[in-house]
Amino acid sequence: MVKLNVQLSKAGSAAPDAASSTQGAPAAGTLPDGDPRILEARNVTISYSGNPAVRGVSLEFPERKVTAIIGPSGCGKSTLLRSFNRMNDFVEGVGIDGQLLYRGIDIHDPRVDPMELRLKIGMVFQKPNPFPKSIYRNVAWGPKINRYDGNIKQLVEESLRKAALWDEVKDRLDDSALGLSGGQQQRLCIARALAMSPEVILMDEPCSALDPVSTSRIEDLIFELKKTFTIVIVTHNMQQAARVSDTTAFLELGKLIEVGETDQMFTKPREKRTEDYVSGRFG
Amino acid sequence: MNLLAVDGHDKIRYRRLKARIFQSTCCGLVWMCVALLAVLLFHVASEGFAYLNLDFLTNNTSYKPEKAGIHAALLGTLWLVVTTAVISIPTGVAAAIYLEEFAKKNRINTFIEVNVANLAGVPSIVFGMLGLAIFSRLFGLKNWVIAGALTMSLLILPVIITAAREAIRAVPNSIRLAAYAIGASKWQTVAAHVLPAALPGIVTGVILSMSRAIGETAPLITIGVPVFILHAPGGLNESFTALPMQIYSWAAMPQKEFHGLAAAGIIVLLTVLLLMNATAVFIRQRAQRKLKW
Amino acid sequence: MTEVALDRSLASPDGGPTSEVGALAKKRGRPLEIVIRIALFASAAVSVVTTLAIIGTLAKEAFAFFEKVPVIDFLTGTEWTPNFHPAKFGVLPLVCGTLWIVFGASLIAIPVGLSSAIYLSEYAKPRTRSILKPVLEILAGIPTIVYGFFALTFVSPILKTIFPSTQIYNAASAAIVVGIMILPMVASLCDDALRSVPSSLRQGAYALGATSLEASTRVVVPGALSGIIASIVLALSRAVGETMAVSLAAGMTPNMTLNPLESIQTMTSYIVEQSKGDVAHDGPGYSAIFAIAALLFLITLVSNVVSHRILKRFREVYE
Repeated sequence: MVKLNVQLSKAGSAAPDAASSTQGAPAAGTLPDGDPRILEARNVTISYSGNPAVRGVSLEFPERKVTAIIGPSGCGKSTLLRSFNRMNDFVEGVGIDGQLLYRGIDIHDPRVDPMELRLKIGMVFQKPNPFPKSIYRNVAWGPKINRYDGNIKQLVEESLRKAALWDEVKDRLDDSALGLSGGQQQRLCIARALAMSPEVILMDEPCSALDPVSTSRIEDLIFELKKTFTIVIVTHNMQQAARVSDTTAFLELGKLIEVGETDQMFTKPREKRTEDYVSGRFG
Repeated sequence: MNLLAVDGHDKIRYRRLKARIFQSTCCGLVWMCVALLAVLLFHVASEGFAYLNLDFLTNNTSYKPEKAGIHAALLGTLWLVVTTAVISIPTGVAAAIYLEEFAKKNRINTFIEVNVANLAGVPSIVFGMLGLAIFSRLFGLKNWVIAGALTMSLLILPVIITAAREAIRAVPNSIRLAAYAIGASKWQTVAAHVLPAALPGIVTGVILSMSRAIGETAPLITIGVPVFILHAPGGLNESFTALPMQIYSWAAMPQKEFHGLAAAGIIVLLTVLLLMNATAVFIRQRAQRKLKW
Repeated sequence: MTEVALDRSLASPDGGPTSEVGALAKKRGRPLEIVIRIALFASAAVSVVTTLAIIGTLAKEAFAFFEKVPVIDFLTGTEWTPNFHPAKFGVLPLVCGTLWIVFGASLIAIPVGLSSAIYLSEYAKPRTRSILKPVLEILAGIPTIVYGFFALTFVSPILKTIFPSTQIYNAASAAIVVGIMILPMVASLCDDALRSVPSSLRQGAYALGATSLEASTRVVVPGALSGIIASIVLALSRAVGETMAVSLAAGMTPNMTLNPLESIQTMTSYIVEQSKGDVAHDGPGYSAIFAIAALLFLITLVSNVVSHRILKRFREVYE
């Protein structure tokens, strides 16, 4: 269905350092020290039927931190995000060059099972997409199909608690998830991802369909979650990136312009284009 | 505006008049179709009403019109439809799942798709010939219920596949992605989320295809289904007759009384079909109201 | 599923990809998944097998028939007398009968169906559509045997009062009801075609001061023309294969007549006549039905393939 060409010959010898020599590479990679890289992109180019959406991006994601990927619409940030748990497998005509690593494992290795990968790397989508089933079954379905042998009820409660939704839904677990508000639905989707106890949660503009109150609740939640999980969040809301993330990467037209600690990125970015973007001069 | 209108005022009026006539003609013709339906139903009702009574439903056919009924034919149709459903629904839905969810875009699958579309246009009598050659003769299933059901199944398979594919395609992709994102396999995703969501659409399509199987006559004639049968079938390997066959044989008789019987049979047939149609519409509308993504 | 070209040897050992995939390895065998996939594919393949079986059996039996009757005589002969001596198997009278039905049906179905489609797509309010569409669906869902009965007991008597020379079984009544039968198909397929013409084209026409007639006949209908033609071809191929109404109302007389009020026989009704069991199930008269079915299949298949091609290209234009 999807043809993936992973060429290690180019990327394999490249320095793992973010400051690779590729055009459009980050000006400097001052990542926080001592954090093992849980996810890594090495010179990744992703194209849709030949048209590149992501061009030669190299990026690292430290464990138990929140990394925000920002950039104007169509800069390829969602495409990049979705490639980390191979959701692009479901898109017709996608080609990927370069390497995507999870704990040093090339995720496109033929021996890698994308389903196992997705257990480690969960995902929350742009629009809340609960299953048209009860709240309980939304959370319980994932563990069930993966033959979770613990107490599922307990797991559901835990996950809902972690997603800060438990108190609102504990009395109506058997109601349809479609009856929840948009913000609640999104937290349910987060709970659903948490129930699989992933290590990484990819969030693709999780608040873009939500009202400000729901948004701030989710942001609080992200703050809680990063104690246990590694979070990669794509957003085009600069304030959100500044509030929730530790590291920020700025993409433009598929290229990584700059990556650095969030404070630095928003106060004294090295690149002129980053400065223009974060100060709202364009985009 | 007025200045413009003055210039060639008559011409514009003439063009407007033509447009109005055209619209009225189109409108008249489409309502004529409605009238036709009404005339057809009224004609059948007026011809057959006198023959429609409880005896008509409980008697078997007879050479005496006043004693003839559709008991065996009705049960034969029931046998035929249930058997056909058992064979064709799983096959058709499975084929639809394959084509929508599993098939990669390659030559084989494109060929299957084109093939399904073309099969839908093959005349039913040709399916009857196939049934005669393969099921009746080669497999030795004669004119039994099972031969009729297999033939009907092949005939309505394209209908089921097409309807089920449309229903499956209407399930939003976000649901599939949500399932994949928590490590579900393709089949787990399809079985737990896509199929339940597509179910109302599939059921609607299945009901409509079953009503097609109920009304079809030609394939039954070719496999040699008899019309004069005095008992309902007791199993898959027995001869049977069906309601449309019975109607056909009565309508083909020269005597006016038998035409009345045929009309009464048609009333029963149409009532069954209308009920099925109404159920399908009901399910479709309820599903639309219930599920909003 | 995924084609991955890997050059492992170049993977760097430090911090680079290890040769192990560890936790992500395909540890769960998925035999069920594979079995299901095969079962689903097999179900989809049933339709292909069906087509092959149709072609195979028809070809085999038809060849057996053509050993007794030369193909040329079959295709060009003007007499069809399978039960007389000498038996003659010229299919043209049956083809002619079928053509009468198709021609008569198109006289009704094309104008009425197309105008209905124009009304539905260009004029009708959503409420009116919601009444008319189900009516058309019901008309399309009525079994053909019912149309046959209608032709025999309603249309023919009316024809007889207008034209006293009308025979009990006649081509005209069958053609009329077949026309009514395929009308909903023409209407709804043409409606789809017309509605897929972008409304910007309509608005463009209205902006130039066109009346609704001019907009629909000079802009919308030409824009949808290939779709309309394909729809009509599809519907007419239905008329070619139509069996029950024709067997009931058009008669069983192979007849190359120019008079639609006479009894005729179509290809399909000959098959019905032979299958009903009044005639011996051996001999060329019976095996001829496979040759006729082969011809029927060929005609409908070609028109289907062609119109699906046209429709596909038409849809691509506006997508």
